[in-house]
Amino acid sequence: MRKSKKRLSVALAMLTALTFVLSACGGSNANSNSAAGSSNGSSDKPVNLIWYTIGTPQKDVDKVMAEVSKYTQEKIGVTVTMKMIDWGDYTQKMQVNVASGEPMDIMFTSAGGFDYVTNARKGAFLQLDDLLNQYGQDLKNAIDPAFLEGSKVDGHNYGIPANKELPQQEVWRFNKNLVDKYNLDTTNVRSLESIEPLLKTIKENEPNVTPFAMDKNYVPYVPYDYIIQNLPMAVKLDTTDYKIVDILETPEMQAALTTMHKYYQAGYVAPEAATTGSTSDLMTSGNWFMDRAQTQPLADNLWSASYGYPVVSTPASDAIITNTSVQGSIMAISANSEHPEKAMQFLNLLNTDPVLRNMVDSGIEGTHYKKIDDTHIENLAESKNYDMPSYSLGNNMLLYLNPNDPDDKWDQFKKFNAEGKDSPILSFNFDSTKVATEMAAVQNVKEQFWASLMTGTVDPEEYLPKAIQKFKEAGLDKIIAEAQTQLDAWRASNSK
Amino acid sequence: MASFFKNILKNKVMLLMVLPGAIWFFFFSYLPLVGTIVAFKQYRFNREGFWASIVKSEWVGWQNFKFLFSGTDAWVITRNTLLYNIAFIFIGLVLSVAMAILLSQLVGKTMAKIYQTGMFLPYFLSWVIVGYFAFSFLSMDRGMLNQILGWFGMEKVQWYSDPKYWPYILIFVSLWKSIGYNSVVYLASILGIDKSLYEAAMIDGASKWQQIRSITIPMLSPIIIIMTLLAVGRIFYADFGLFYQVPRDSGTLYSVTNVIDTYVYRGLKTTGEIGMSTAAGLYQSVVGFVLVIVSNYIVRRLDKESALF
Repeated sequence: MRKSKKRLSVALAMLTALTFVLSACGGSNANSNSAAGSSNGSSDKPVNLIWYTIGTPQKDVDKVMAEVSKYTQEKIGVTVTMKMIDWGDYTQKMQVNVASGEPMDIMFTSAGGFDYVTNARKGAFLQLDDLLNQYGQDLKNAIDPAFLEGSKVDGHNYGIPANKELPQQEVWRFNKNLVDKYNLDTTNVRSLESIEPLLKTIKENEPNVTPFAMDKNYVPYVPYDYIIQNLPMAVKLDTTDYKIVDILETPEMQAALTTMHKYYQAGYVAPEAATTGSTSDLMTSGNWFMDRAQTQPLADNLWSASYGYPVVSTPASDAIITNTSVQGSIMAISANSEHPEKAMQFLNLLNTDPVLRNMVDSGIEGTHYKKIDDTHIENLAESKNYDMPSYSLGNNMLLYLNPNDPDDKWDQFKKFNAEGKDSPILSFNFDSTKVATEMAAVQNVKEQFWASLMTGTVDPEEYLPKAIQKFKEAGLDKIIAEAQTQLDAWRASNSK
Repeated sequence: MASFFKNILKNKVMLLMVLPGAIWFFFFSYLPLVGTIVAFKQYRFNREGFWASIVKSEWVGWQNFKFLFSGTDAWVITRNTLLYNIAFIFIGLVLSVAMAILLSQLVGKTMAKIYQTGMFLPYFLSWVIVGYFAFSFLSMDRGMLNQILGWFGMEKVQWYSDPKYWPYILIFVSLWKSIGYNSVVYLASILGIDKSLYEAAMIDGASKWQQIRSITIPMLSPIIIIMTLLAVGRIFYADFGLFYQVPRDSGTLYSVTNVIDTYVYRGLKTTGEIGMSTAAGLYQSVVGFVLVIVSNYIVRRLDKESALF
């Protein structure tokens, strides 16, 4: 026995050693600490701002930031270090960075990545009301006031939204090759029901094409605004009494789900839509006929250029200004920033100064891009080393135009923004802290039923009552009651 | 005191070998224990950094644990986690010991190595990749299984929306991935068994089966017990990748695929309440700890030599 125990311990030691090797491969820490600026706001020495933003890390970031720093040092006495975190990792890594007190001054936040409202309430961002008045006057004039108003959390600003398209509008997108081939009329469609004859034509004639492309995040459009994205509590857009309802119990959603199930059974929707993460392979191959998407001015050109074949779209909803659309891209100042005033000055400059804004967006003139005329630029080969997402880096309306853009591109955006209608609950942000227990349970019920109901995979006759029942058991009514109390209080204080 | 240093000096080589592991355990297992108090707090950021955040967050008592036990899913996730793990432990044990014995009986060493490596390989694959392997079999319109069913004139099955197949699929996939690794552990100790025992048995005319039953299995029992005790300690932890990636997060399958870990993930991914996820982790560890103590106690009563401690 003694002998076997000894061997055993050897075997165990080897086992443990192997586990170390394996687990060591998993973890890597890409964050290196850089000096958080040595001076404390004295005007002689430049202050270094650390700026975290979303997007695939680019090779030339440091090179461009060196140029940016030269410019900003002269203007406001700051230098800039930019750290990029890739799309899929952003939320998680930022949570860790903020929780561990990593030095940073400016960070990207939005309704979709590193959630703005939640983290503002958790204390991740500095409250900006005073700084904005002191250092942000130009910025206030430059961007649409609806952005600053709509991004208030509990009455305070915690970030500077990027000036870009303001409302969100749903459209039906069509693969124009197929539209032309069958001579279909897309101008008269709008409702979910109205697309049926088109889908039918395609299904009968094109066996290899997915008539109605969608992934598991698809939700039929109904004229409601959700309190929290994709949880079944919503307020009707033309509401007068501001009553929060369970979206699954509304006649509009019930009708839409019945139609979706009909489409699914007719084979208009891919059989595994409810578990499909992305439709990008369909978009690449062109084997789709239509889908639904959110639009912005000149979107058809953008889509056609990126897919390599013509795409046309036609509205499926009104253009509505909602919390989600307003909070699509925000830059916040970190609560632990050592130089909040300088950070605010930098954000002010970034959102008002075309030279700085374009340098951050397109890189160095002559290296990454060249000017064609006063407003248009063309990318050079080197631009592949500095390919930045424009929407996340501040005021879009200062940007140079691409060669194919019409001269009035930003005027079209301004017009689109001016025509958007406010959602009744714009700038009301639900605080779910008191019902956190119920939220966890309700999230689970949502994950269980949502995708299969919304894509039409299951029969709403059978599953809708089940889902409604399970949501109630998980405590949805309690969450709605809490939200209603908060909404009523918000209404009273905002005299809506 | 002097004898203590003497002891260290005497065992310095052994202690040096233990050192990396001990350091690792200190940093990644003992140090984070302090963070357990987050389970009883509503975590909020503080500009002074992580420790200040912990200290200054508000105490909320057992509030963070409530979500695990409220709602109708509490029973489903506990049942799924426990039953699947029990199945993995026992079926896995039988199959990997059997596999190890078979491998040890192979005469051709090259073939034995090839089988061993082949079985070991799935262990290194990520669950995401395994999930896609499974998808290539189970896809509704392009999956291999549905093609085969088609040849026999049978109807296609919507694998990802019918819960009744999934307990079998999950157990199969999990075993396929883990057996190779476990059988190597058993194989290593089979190879360590004194050959003279088998020679003596052969002289006495014992058949292969009798040798396995009376020599191999009894000699293996200490490591079997240790491996099982370790697995029992993790009985409240479910393999997240297996239960999330392999069923492609399909909602209609939740009745048989939702386990504690996936429930916690789905419930907290949007709100990101660190306190609640810490609470879930603490609950799992405490239950695991109790189970290890209890099962070790039972083993001790049966056979003192085999117990872990």
